[in-house]
Amino acid sequence: MFAFLLTRIFRALLTIVLVVTFAFVVLRMSGDPAQIIMGPDAPPEAIAAFRKNWGLDDPIWLQYLHYFGAILQGDLGISMRDGQSAVELVAERIPATLQLTIPALILKLALGIPAGIYAALHRNSLIDRMVMAGAIAGFTMPSFVLGLILVLIFSVTLGWLPSGGQDSWTHAVLPILTMSIGGAGILARFSRSAMIEVLGQPYIRTASAKGVAWARVVRGHALPNAAIPVVTIVGFMVGSLVAGAVVVESVFSWPGVGRLLVVSVANRDLAIVQCIILLIAATMVVSNFVVDILYGFLDPRLRSNQAKA
Amino acid sequence: MNSTLLAAENLVKTYTSRRGPFSPASTVRAVDGISLSLARAKTLGIVGESGSGKSTTGRLVLGLEQPTAGKVSFDGTRMPREKTAEWRGLRARMQLVYQDPLAALDRRLTIGVQIGEPLEIHAIGTGEERKERVIALLKAVGLRADQADRYPHELSGGQRQRVVIARAIACEPELLVCDEPVSALDVSIQAQVVNLLRDLQEERGIAMIFISHDLKVVRNISDRVAVMYLGRIVEEASSDEIFREPLHPYTQALVSSVPVPGTPLKQRIILQGEPPNPAARPTGCAFHPRCRHGNARCRGETPELLPIDRDHSVACHLVASDAPAGRMM
Amino acid sequence: MTDAPLASITATAERKRGARLPVMVGIAIFWIAVMIVIALTADFIRPYGITAFDLKNRLALPGNAAHWLGTDELGRDVLSRLIESIRISLLIAFGSTLISAFLGTSLGFLASHFRGIVEQGVLMLADFQAALPFLILSLAVLAFFGNSLLLLTCLMGFYGWERYARIARGLAISASAQGYAAAVSQLGAKPSRIYIRHILPNIASTLIVSMTLTFPEIILLESSLSFLGLGVQPPMTSLGNMVGYGREYLTTAPWIMLAPALVIMFTTLSISILGDWLRDQLDPTIR
Repeated sequence: MFAFLLTRIFRALLTIVLVVTFAFVVLRMSGDPAQIIMGPDAPPEAIAAFRKNWGLDDPIWLQYLHYFGAILQGDLGISMRDGQSAVELVAERIPATLQLTIPALILKLALGIPAGIYAALHRNSLIDRMVMAGAIAGFTMPSFVLGLILVLIFSVTLGWLPSGGQDSWTHAVLPILTMSIGGAGILARFSRSAMIEVLGQPYIRTASAKGVAWARVVRGHALPNAAIPVVTIVGFMVGSLVAGAVVVESVFSWPGVGRLLVVSVANRDLAIVQCIILLIAATMVVSNFVVDILYGFLDPRLRSNQAKA
Repeated sequence: MNSTLLAAENLVKTYTSRRGPFSPASTVRAVDGISLSLARAKTLGIVGESGSGKSTTGRLVLGLEQPTAGKVSFDGTRMPREKTAEWRGLRARMQLVYQDPLAALDRRLTIGVQIGEPLEIHAIGTGEERKERVIALLKAVGLRADQADRYPHELSGGQRQRVVIARAIACEPELLVCDEPVSALDVSIQAQVVNLLRDLQEERGIAMIFISHDLKVVRNISDRVAVMYLGRIVEEASSDEIFREPLHPYTQALVSSVPVPGTPLKQRIILQGEPPNPAARPTGCAFHPRCRHGNARCRGETPELLPIDRDHSVACHLVASDAPAGRMM
Repeated sequence: MTDAPLASITATAERKRGARLPVMVGIAIFWIAVMIVIALTADFIRPYGITAFDLKNRLALPGNAAHWLGTDELGRDVLSRLIESIRISLLIAFGSTLISAFLGTSLGFLASHFRGIVEQGVLMLADFQAALPFLILSLAVLAFFGNSLLLLTCLMGFYGWERYARIARGLAISASAQGYAAAVSQLGAKPSRIYIRHILPNIASTLIVSMTLTFPEIILLESSLSFLGLGVQPPMTSLGNMVGYGREYLTTAPWIMLAPALVIMFTTLSISILGDWLRDQLDPTIR
């Protein structure tokens, strides 16, 4: 178990290092940072002073180390537009994003998993077909199309809900729905196939052949085993709590991290883009790490194998 | 011209496996100090159970794997490193026949194309000549010319092995290593394929190493036989000698299980104990836990392969210390 | 070529699925064919130029004799713009899928051939790629490098490469460890011959299935970027771009948004159905 943990921590850290390196390489490849930050009209003396100040004349590996050191200290540069610290600007948008993504995550789980399990237990029933059709539609429809169609129905035609902004809780309903429907479809399809696979296993047939009540077979044997693959996809969804909001926040003009990212990309506000990417990468890496650990607890086979190694 | 085509000296091959970046490595000695030599146009049989290192030995002498220690020389020169141009060129002179012919053939190409492929690779002949050569090869291994357009899955197991053999002899190699060439085939076809190999060998003067777990298959085709146990040769002699007078207790057990036509199987020696496991090698003589005659010396000291006669070597304390007594067994 | 084991797999797959799916697959194939024809003949079948204004007919309703799908606020013909958008979106998705398959397969082969450090490096990159949402990565690159059609296609070409790399590496390793690739290598063939002549044809069906699975995802990705205004730039138009533009007229002219949105949905749905079906037919081993 210890070697297993160590390997996972090592890989998580490696991914973070890679993301930072990626940001550094792309930043340097895209042009002279002095020119980008000071603007095209900056006088040459100012640029020279800037280069000296920021160590841009040092060898590239030294710059890389400095860059790394600054990030470790939480210094991710300043926004080009208003000179505020990038970290602060991003941090103040996080609550707004979580206001959408956390309820959406709960809704996805509450809709998707029961629907998938029900469909698996009643295969080829009307509900099963509906779940599968809904699931396919749910993830072939881009979220911006779904969002706009919901706006068309509930705001434009029926006039029940506002189409954008963040003034009251009613403003959050449509974005949360938009985010949940596609995810619920993916989850339903995933839990259905995980469940069907488990139900086909010999130990399930043995248990039911021994005369164990079907409800108990499902609760005691099938569900815990089907949970293992489903945890992965849930982990991925937790990891994309921030990333998943990019498109939906833009559709509904919701002032969260995702909207900030899109605006910053359009304005080429590099410090903020870089800060958000690190934030998203860190969320993904941490949630992947937690999923790996959870796996160890859910799947005793994996645990004992790793312990032996 | 040198009469010794292939010589191997003190070949050792160890495999290291590691289950994760932070776990300790474990080492398995698959081949543990083997020397052998093979003259042109002669056949050496290698017999052993699974895990005895016989297949690894076959791959080592072909240069398909690099030995951990020791050296292989072919026609007087040292085996070049794997995957070099020199090594690739040498493939035209030495070939391997596989245990599972279906796995060794590409299921998306016709057998005609595959038999001609070595000619293409080594740039032998023009397109027309290659076609003729492929037809001749098909006939030489007992297939029909019109079968050139078949795919491997359309043939029977025996026919597929004939295809593999045809491909192996396409460049007229001097050395052919056959690694359990018939053990995946039906018993009824085994003899046909062994006879085909023997005929080809005699007609074309190919030197051959014939690897098998089955002593009676080896007997028919080999001039000399080496018996392997846990990565070492425990006995080596001419084919007749090994059958007439097996000296090592392990060889005796193997020979006693081969039926002789017209006589009932008598005094069959049944081997006791665990089959050999290269990962947990016993101390001293590796065979001692299963040996009827094992004594304290066998447990503590590893016997060397020593010549008993001009043409007969054995690695056993009981035989070497007291040759006549050994023969009495 | 008939393949006995393949035929039996096909038979079981059909038995399991029943007769209902092939109708869906038929519709899917028909839709994809129509889209391809539209993309190829866009210049001939387009009734108007994509920037031709018809100022007398602004925001005309669909069903109009001159403009079947109506017009937008500037009086541009929605049908013509839709046809052009289908062409651009399919072009990008097609180019990107090819780039991604080529890149991934090559890296997978390199990993399997050299093993060791090269392999670890490729696997690490694949993990990295899988760990970070691609939309975010592409937003970063677009932020740093600006935008052009070529850059966009190349950028999308990084989408999904890690899947091809994993498949190609896994299959190549199993083929070279034992089996036909080891046998050909033992004949003295150069690695290029082994990989191109033997391994590639053997794993092609698996790769093609993966392509049909990444293709719709690339369409979605490109349309999301274009919707956000960060993908295809005006005056050029793509499906996502049209939806983004149509969004402004949601209350007055919803057809401008709905027409491209429906095309996106039907196309991704059709390719997914086709891909799932192909996977069941050709290669039941991948999921």
